[in-house]
Amino acid sequence: MQRRQFLNITLGALALAVVPASVKAEDFRTSKPAVWSAHKMDDAIKAMYGTTTTIEKGVKLSAANVAFDAGTMATAANGGAIPVDFSTKIEAKTIAVFQDSNPESAVCVYEVNKYSVNNYSIKIKMANPGTIKVIVEGTDGKLYSATQKLNVAKGGCEG
Amino acid sequence: MKIKAKLKKGVVSVKAMAKHDMMTYNQAEKKTGNKDDANFITHISATCNGETVFDMSTSQFLSKNPIFKFKFKGEAFKKGDKLLMTWTDRKGNTENGKSKIK
Repeated sequence: MQRRQFLNITLGALALAVVPASVKAEDFRTSKPAVWSAHKMDDAIKAMYGTTTTIEKGVKLSAANVAFDAGTMATAANGGAIPVDFSTKIEAKTIAVFQDSNPESAVCVYEVNKYSVNNYSIKIKMANPGTIKVIVEGTDGKLYSATQKLNVAKGGCEG
Repeated sequence: MKIKAKLKKGVVSVKAMAKHDMMTYNQAEKKTGNKDDANFITHISATCNGETVFDMSTSQFLSKNPIFKFKFKGEAFKKGDKLLMTWTDRKGNTENGKSKIK
């Protein structure tokens, strides 16, 4: 209970701190807090988009420099910094990244704007082998996704 | 915060690195015994000439000193324009960085 209260207070403070700097931008941590505390990938996706039904096409995803190829497993030598690249040509509203090996599932949510060229690269950490899923919310309201299974030789959350 | 921005063929490619520990709840508990000591970047955005060109909400699972690469359409911008980036972390700290588009 205490932790919940603390979180609420911090999030409130964050919202106040963020709003003046970027009035238009949406902070998904404030607007959709359930996404960030969900432990299962499906729960997080549901909290974000209200459904887990996605169309598996139109999104390119590669992790640990291994091109996305359905059925194959990429291996990351260091779970502390796994390069994840993804791109899409779909007219998108938001793009979200999830994984299922850490205590919580959500990694990040991009808010796409009119200047965006949807080609991103980030580095993430994963504690165990698992699956990375990128979901693109199209302006047509449909969800497009790509998944990549990943083996992790050395966990990234031990610190 | 280190930022590199390059305009090429109408697209600006940006590579940015934020200096941050990105401590997860588990790491914080191991280190100090208190999960609430966890601290990580929660929101990061970039603007150019007052226009938002990049905006993301993040969790603790970005790597330590996370690197972000992204692109945006460059028709409205020119070389020499300033790209400003700001991150906010869980404790409310913010840091700004800026770079000229090359």
